[in-house]
Amino acid sequence: MAEPMPPSPASTGESRRRFLAFLSRAFLSLWAVGGAGVVGAYLRAPERRERVAERLVRVGLLEDLRIGEARLVRHGTTPFYVVRLDGSRVVALAAVCTHVRCILGFDRERRALVCPCHDGRFDLAGNVLSGPPPKSLPTYAVSVRAGEVFVHL
Amino acid sequence: MARRGMAGRLGEVVVALALACATGPAARAQPSDVISHPGSSPAQASNAAGRCGVCHPRERVLFEKSRHAQEDIHCVSCHGGDDRTLDQGVAHGSGFRGRPARSAIPALCASCHASEERMRAYNLPVDQFALYQTSGHGRRLASGDTRVAVCSDCHGAHDILPPSDPASYVFALNVPKTCGRCHGDSTLMRPRGRRDAYREYQASVHAHELFDKGNPRAPTCVSCHGVHGAAPPQVGDVDKVCGQCHTAERRYFVAGPHREGLTRAGQPECASCHGDHAIQAARPERLSTLCSQCHGEPSQQARLGRRLWTEYRAAAQEVDKAAAILERAEAVPLQTADYRARLEEARTYLRESLPAAHGMNEETVSGFTLRARWVSAEIEHEIYGKLGNLRTRKFVLILFWFYVLLTILVLRRFRGRATRVE
Amino acid sequence: MSSPRGNPPPAAGGSRAGDADSADRPPPPVPASGHPAGRTGWVEWLEQRLNLTEIFSFLTHFGLVYAPIDRSRPVREVVRELATQPVPSYARGPRVLGLLAAILFGLEALTGVLLAYYYRPTPEAAFESTRTIVRDLPAGWFIHEMHAWGAYLLVAVVVLRLLRLFWDGLYRAPREVLWWSAVILAWLVLQLDFTGRLLTWDARSYWSTVRGMEVVWALPVVGPVLAFLLGGRVVNEDVLIRFYVLHLLVLPAFYLTFVYLTFSTLRRVGLSPPADSGPEGTVTFRHHLYSMLILSVLLFGVLVTLATLLPFGFAGPADPYSTPLGVRPPWYMLAPYALFQRLPLPAWVTGLLLLGAAVAVLLLPLWIRERGVLEPRRLRTAGVAALAVWAALSVVGMLIDRR
Repeated sequence: MAEPMPPSPASTGESRRRFLAFLSRAFLSLWAVGGAGVVGAYLRAPERRERVAERLVRVGLLEDLRIGEARLVRHGTTPFYVVRLDGSRVVALAAVCTHVRCILGFDRERRALVCPCHDGRFDLAGNVLSGPPPKSLPTYAVSVRAGEVFVHL
Repeated sequence: MARRGMAGRLGEVVVALALACATGPAARAQPSDVISHPGSSPAQASNAAGRCGVCHPRERVLFEKSRHAQEDIHCVSCHGGDDRTLDQGVAHGSGFRGRPARSAIPALCASCHASEERMRAYNLPVDQFALYQTSGHGRRLASGDTRVAVCSDCHGAHDILPPSDPASYVFALNVPKTCGRCHGDSTLMRPRGRRDAYREYQASVHAHELFDKGNPRAPTCVSCHGVHGAAPPQVGDVDKVCGQCHTAERRYFVAGPHREGLTRAGQPECASCHGDHAIQAARPERLSTLCSQCHGEPSQQARLGRRLWTEYRAAAQEVDKAAAILERAEAVPLQTADYRARLEEARTYLRESLPAAHGMNEETVSGFTLRARWVSAEIEHEIYGKLGNLRTRKFVLILFWFYVLLTILVLRRFRGRATRVE
Repeated sequence: MSSPRGNPPPAAGGSRAGDADSADRPPPPVPASGHPAGRTGWVEWLEQRLNLTEIFSFLTHFGLVYAPIDRSRPVREVVRELATQPVPSYARGPRVLGLLAAILFGLEALTGVLLAYYYRPTPEAAFESTRTIVRDLPAGWFIHEMHAWGAYLLVAVVVLRLLRLFWDGLYRAPREVLWWSAVILAWLVLQLDFTGRLLTWDARSYWSTVRGMEVVWALPVVGPVLAFLLGGRVVNEDVLIRFYVLHLLVLPAFYLTFVYLTFSTLRRVGLSPPADSGPEGTVTFRHHLYSMLILSVLLFGVLVTLATLLPFGFAGPADPYSTPLGVRPPWYMLAPYALFQRLPLPAWVTGLLLLGAAVAVLLLPLWIRERGVLEPRRLRTAGVAALAVWAALSVVGMLIDRR
């Protein structure tokens, strides 16, 4: 739109036509907006929403967990380890390394969680012992009721 | 198996004599190889009763149906005497034991059934007699009381059938009736201070499962009280049997406060709340009224019971609401198979809360009821969303058509300009 | 592709107030060759590096422009000239069937790609993924129904176009290629419909495909070969994945080839005047384009209405061990189905007849030419009669085996 408008009595008609044309084009472009909206809503991959009832996980009977052993619970996108420390204490902590999200392994002798990707290590309270992980592991509350272990995510 | 009085026996003798006179000549004319002896061929099983059956037809008919008859057991095996002759003197002659005394019957049966050599061929157990002697029936018999059950009272005397045979007195579905012949007879039981257990059992959910649904694995008298070693129930003894089937309830119960409390009070563990014979199906509403029967009102235990019931009821209502909305969705029709699976998940949580209630721990129970509610609420929320979407579509369609017509007008305007220009 | 949607002024320069300008001043002179006067912009910048006109010409081979394009002229000139070109008025009416088919195909391609993002082609996951799309995803039902109704309309349009070409005798030289590609396009659309139908793997479509495959199998010689290529006579996971590949890759590739062939031929031979044409009016191409745009908006509106008010939906998941009542082959296979089921002739004879008929339709220009030019009226009558027979057979096919 480089041409200057000629100052004439027809200029108001001219600008009105321009305005109408602009309005019409804006109106028509709503089709594009609408189409993009519909397709966009459809394409947004559904965050497979974690169902609410999955936040309380039943792990199993306490007597099935050996003392000093860790069990990996493959729970959706938040797998976690359940570790029985002694006769009555059980801890649960995330199994996903805070560095690049590899799944940790359990080192029984050292009672630590070890990451196979870059050798990051965590203790059973979730603190980083060594390696590149920037943050400590989230821990989850564990309750033992009637001999059964429940983990609250 | 009625006990016959003297008159009956006399009548039978008369009948037998008459029969003997009528058929005597014919009977004497029978060839002698019809006589049955131990060791004769199985084809003569129908003659297992031998000549005894001529005078004792009723017993013969019963006996020929029995398991013993198929295994070459004869009248003389238990009663002695001679079964080859019609002469009563000879038949009831040497070695004749006649009708065994009641107190002698267990030993008589045990003469074969406690013998491993004899029973090994059939792979039958041989501990029945030993167990019987430890049982309430056995001990009473030993102390002289003959009005207790002996082998023939439960198994029959002549028409003994294996327990797997539906006609047997000890077939699972017939066991309560067999026990109930004595234990349901108040004239027998009341003098001994026993309740009418049979009638109570008949009103129970176990009996419903057994009789109405025909489930032979449902508990009968012998499931809890034992078969041959039936001992009188003592506090706590029979209760431990409940946990053999109801394992989850037992586990929660043992972890809760009632086990110690009831044992200390000398009360039965399960039967205190559920009864012993007339056990009903679980009714969670009893949680609100039952606790006060022991703990009194007002008490914190009664309040706990009412709280548990309230939680359960709220969860059950939520599950029913979810089921109702699934019905609505299916009528549309929406595909709901995966939602039905989640509804089952919710129902499972709800059902699990009842065994958990045995532990009297509110947190545990609400762990289940809350999950049942959450899953149901999720189902409702999502289905409502989908049903709502269906309605808004038609409305948006009308708006859309306004938009389409407006677009066409605008385009026609552009088109008109294009024509005018060229 | 220069799509008629959402791009009102055909000037490639985007959002300029071209209309308002040209309303007031005469269009700039079209130079015969070489450099345009005055205008410099990003289009010219590109043109110094690429031959934009050649690209434009290639793109329009797939549709929209019927006249040949001079590739040596700058693109702005070419476009402006196109816009002002007269288009005979008979380019409307029944002639738009081809354009409608192209638009519908584009829509099917777009919705098909969107559906393919979530669809999984295994028997276990096919129904569930379709259910997720239709029931759970936002606007998923819309994409799915547009695809289903678009397919329905596409089949109708393509068949109608075939009938229209036959009626106007447009299979004769020099445009036999047009007829062949029209027939083959119709076949391809029917194949696309047949393969796409199975993909939802729901009870009705599964069994309808099974019965359809029986019809295919019964064709002599070709039948078993086709069934072999399609994955066997039993409709299982192999058949599903082959149908999936055919539906997404192979058949659309063929389709695009024949669309290209159609437009190239049209550009070569030009649009034909009808034998009984009335007074010829002309409009500019730009005008024509706007008309087509309005038509496509209307078509879209109709499709959206159908999708919303008359959804196809689907029944429960397919169970290979349980056949629901009243399932029959797809509607276009009802006529051969009736023949196979009811004629006392052996199946291979009826199959041979059908194949013969199909090939005869394809090769119509050849045997018409050999025997000399028949009277159009007799040909038309014969065509109508054949169509009536087909329709009657289809009705029969619908009524038999009714329970």
